[in-house]
Amino acid sequence: METEIKIITQNWGRINPQSIDEYIAAGGYQALFKFIKEMDPEIAVEEIKTSGLCGRGGAGFPTGLKLESVQKEKVTEKYFICNLDESEPGTYKDRMIAENDPHMLIEGIIIASLIVGAKKAFIYINGNYKKSAEILERAVGQAKQKVFLGPAILHSRYGLEIEIFEGAGAYICGEETALINSIEGKRGEPRMRPPFPTQSGLFGKPTAVNNAETIANIPWIIENGGAEFAKVGSKKSPGTKLFILDGAVKNRDVVEAPLGITLKELIDNYGGGIYAGKEFWFAQVGGSSGRLALEKDLEMKLEYDREAKIPLGSGAILVVDKMADIHELLLSWASFFRRESCGKCVPCREGTFRLWEIAKRLRDGEISDRDKAAIEDILWTLNNTTFCPLGKFAATAFGDALQYFPKEIYKLSK
Amino acid sequence: MKIKINNQEYEARAGETIYQVCQKNRIKIPTLCSLKDFHEGLCRICVVEQNGKLITSCNKQVSDGMEIATESEEVSRARRINLELLWSDHAGKCVTCKKNRKCELQDLAEEYKIENFHFVPRKEELTIGEELDLLKDNRLRVVVDEGNPAISRTTELCVECRRCINVCPTKEFGFNNRAGDVVVGTPYEKPLDCIFCGQCVKDCPVGAITDKNDLPKIIGELDDLKKMAVALVDPAILESVAFEQEEMDSKEKIVGVLQAIGFEKVFDLGFGMELMLEQMEKKIKDSPGKNIILGHCPSLNLYIQKYYPQFVENILNVANPDEIMAEHIKRDYAREQKINPDDIAVISISSCTAKKVSKSENLDYVITVRELGRIIRQKNIKLADIKQTDFNNELVRSLAPPGAKLLLNGKSAKNIIRTGGAAEILAKKTKAKYVVADGIEQIKNILNNLSKSRIETKIIEGMVCPGGCVNGGGQSRNFKF
Repeated sequence: METEIKIITQNWGRINPQSIDEYIAAGGYQALFKFIKEMDPEIAVEEIKTSGLCGRGGAGFPTGLKLESVQKEKVTEKYFICNLDESEPGTYKDRMIAENDPHMLIEGIIIASLIVGAKKAFIYINGNYKKSAEILERAVGQAKQKVFLGPAILHSRYGLEIEIFEGAGAYICGEETALINSIEGKRGEPRMRPPFPTQSGLFGKPTAVNNAETIANIPWIIENGGAEFAKVGSKKSPGTKLFILDGAVKNRDVVEAPLGITLKELIDNYGGGIYAGKEFWFAQVGGSSGRLALEKDLEMKLEYDREAKIPLGSGAILVVDKMADIHELLLSWASFFRRESCGKCVPCREGTFRLWEIAKRLRDGEISDRDKAAIEDILWTLNNTTFCPLGKFAATAFGDALQYFPKEIYKLSK
Repeated sequence: MKIKINNQEYEARAGETIYQVCQKNRIKIPTLCSLKDFHEGLCRICVVEQNGKLITSCNKQVSDGMEIATESEEVSRARRINLELLWSDHAGKCVTCKKNRKCELQDLAEEYKIENFHFVPRKEELTIGEELDLLKDNRLRVVVDEGNPAISRTTELCVECRRCINVCPTKEFGFNNRAGDVVVGTPYEKPLDCIFCGQCVKDCPVGAITDKNDLPKIIGELDDLKKMAVALVDPAILESVAFEQEEMDSKEKIVGVLQAIGFEKVFDLGFGMELMLEQMEKKIKDSPGKNIILGHCPSLNLYIQKYYPQFVENILNVANPDEIMAEHIKRDYAREQKINPDDIAVISISSCTAKKVSKSENLDYVITVRELGRIIRQKNIKLADIKQTDFNNELVRSLAPPGAKLLLNGKSAKNIIRTGGAAEILAKKTKAKYVVADGIEQIKNILNNLSKSRIETKIIEGMVCPGGCVNGGGQSRNFKF
C-alpha cells in the first residue's frame, strides 16, 4: 500500500467535533484565512479546476466547472447548497463527515460560497439526521462567534449566512432540482432541464449544489494547492474517497482510500477481506442504484470515469456472499424504488410499482413466462423514457442481476 | 431555422418545441398530459427519437439542424409500454365510465393496440398476502369526491397527468402521497369546495373528473309523457356542440336533435340574456354606487365570496338568464298555456358548470354540452335523419309587451358570451365607464387594485373562464377556444 493520505478523515477521532478551537488547533480554517488574504475567487476556482476534483455524490461532474459556471453568472443574488440528503440505502458517509468533523464541512461551504459569489448557503440535510443537524447547527453558531460567518467574514468584504434546511428524507430530494424544489417549499420533484440550476436554480437564481463530501475536500485543496491534490489517487479523478464497506466483509465501516484503488484491494486492505467462511459472489457498487461487480471485475479501478463499466456512485460497496438470497435482494431493491419514486412520470410511477409486484412473486416462486416478458419491458422503459435518472437507477441493479444470474433467479419458477 | 422531421425539412422558430412544430405541420404525436400552455412531460407518450435517444417532444425546444423521428421501433415500444402501464391500472372500467368513447386514454389504447395485460397479475397467481396487499393498495389509492353539486371526482380513473392541477385558477388540486400511491387531490382530501368553473372537467383526458349530474333522472323526465321538458339553449354552446356530435353543425339542427331526444319546447337563452341586461341596466341607472361588479359569472360570484368577501356588496344582484327564463316559464307561460308548473321540467343546456351550484327552484337541471352529448349517445338517435327546426318563439311573444324594444336581437346576444360584451353594452346604455377582466389573473389584479382604491369606475365585468362563457368549463372537451 502507498503512503496513506487522509484528507477528509484527517481529524476523525482526534479532535472533539463540537469544539471549534480544537479544529483550529489542528490547522482548521487556515484555508479560509488563505482564501481571504491571498486569493481571488477566480484564482481559487482555477485551483479547484487544476485539482480535478469531481462530484462525490455519484455523478462525478467536475466541481471546478460547476463552481465556475455559477461564478460567471452576472447576478448579485446567488445560492450555494450543500447536499446532505444522502438517502441511498447503505450510504452514510456524509453523516459521518457532519458528525466527525462538521467544521471542515462548514469551512468548505464558506469557501465554495464565496467562490461562486453566494451570500446565502443552505445545508440541505436528510430529515432523519436529527443528531447531525444539531451538531451542524452548533458548529455554525461557533463559526459565527469567530466571525467566520456573518456580514463581514474576518472583517473582509465577503459576507455569508448558512441555513440548515431539514428535508423529510425523500430519496428523490438528493437530485439537485428536486432538492431546490423542496427548499422552495414545493413538492420534491425533479425539474425540467435546461435551464440548469447553475443558470436558474433556487428561486430562479444561479445555484451551485454540491455533495457534502465534495465540499469537505475544498479546504485541503485551497490550503495545499490544486496541483498537490491532483497527485493523489487516479489520474482520471484525483483525490481520496470515502467508501462504505458493507455485507460480507470483516470491517464494515467508512474508510478513506485513494481513488483508483481496485475493488479487490479495497475489500482486502481496508475491509479486512471477506468474512471467514463466506465466499464472494458479487459486489454492488454505489448503493441501491449501483451496478453489480462480479469476481472478474474485482481488478477494476474504482474511479469517476464516464466510460466506466461500473460507475462508482456514492461509494457504498455491498459485498454479497454466496449464502445470500438473491430474491430478497431483488425485492429490497424493488420495494425501495417503489417507495421512493416521486410519482411524477408514468414509467417510473407505474413501472417501479409493477416491478415490485413481480419481485414479490419472484420471491414466492410464482413467476410465469408472461412476467419474464413484463420485467424486460419495464426495465427497458425505466432505462429509456423516465423523466429523471431515478428511473434508470431503479432498473440498474435489477437488470444486472437478471443478466448475470438468470438461473438462480428463475430457479423456483413454475 | 430548419429542422428535419422524419427525413423531411421543416421551418421552425427558436423557442418552439418539437411538439409545436409537429402540430403546425400536421404530424401526429400522441400525448396525455400536454395542454396549450402546460408541457410537463409526465406521460412520456409524446416521446420521439433524436440520435438514437428518446426525448419528450412536448418540452424539448428545437435547435438548428435537429433531426427527429416521430415514429420508430423504439418510439412505438416506449409508447406502447407506457400506455400499457397506465392501462393496466385502469382497464375494465370503461363500460361504466362517464367518459366512455370520449376518453383520450381509451383512444390511444385502441390506436396502439393495447391488448395484453402482461403487467397485471392473474388471480390464480396471487398469494393470499398479495391479494390483501392489492386490496389495501386499492383502497389507499382511490379517493371519491361527490360532495358538491357540479364536479365529481374519482382517482380510480386518474392517470396523474396534472392537467387539472395546472389549469385550475384557484389551485385546488395537487399531488398527494408518493410513488405508486400518488393521487391527485385536494389538501388533506377535503371535499372539493371551489369556484366550480369546470376547466378541470373540460381538460381531464379520462373519467377522473366529470360533471356531477342526475342523468338517469333527466332522461326519465325526457321520456315521461306527462312531463313537459323545456330546453334553454345557451348561445355559447352552439360553437362547441358539434365537437360532441359531428352532425350537430347548425343551430336548427341542434334544435331538431333536442326535440328528437324528448324536449317538447326549445327556447333560446339569448332572450333571457336580454331580460337580464334590461334588469342590469335599470339597477345600474338607479344605483348611485361605484365599482359595480356584474354578477352574471357564477364562478366570479363564488370567487369573490371566498377570497374577497369585502366586495360581496359590490356584486350586482341580478338573477342568471336561465333563472329569469325558468321563472317566466313556470309562472307566466304555464298560466297562459294552462299547464301545471309541476309538470314542467326546465333544463338549461349551458357552457357553465358553476350554474349547477347557483341554480334556483324554478330551474330544474343544468347540464353541460358534454352531458348533452352523453344523452344523445345514450338515446341512439340517427342524427343524419333529423330535420332542422327553429327555436320556439312563443315565450318571446307572450312576454314581450306589444311594441316593446328589446335591447338586442338574437344575433347580438352572442356578444355577451364573450368577456366584456355585457359591460360594453351596458356602458353604452348608461353612458358609464367600465373595466373588464378576462381570466382569473386579471380578476385578481382588478380586485387587488380595488382593495387599494386604485380603481374608480362604474361597471366591472369579470369572467373566470379565459375568453368568457364561450370557453366555459362546460364546453365539449375537443373544442379549442
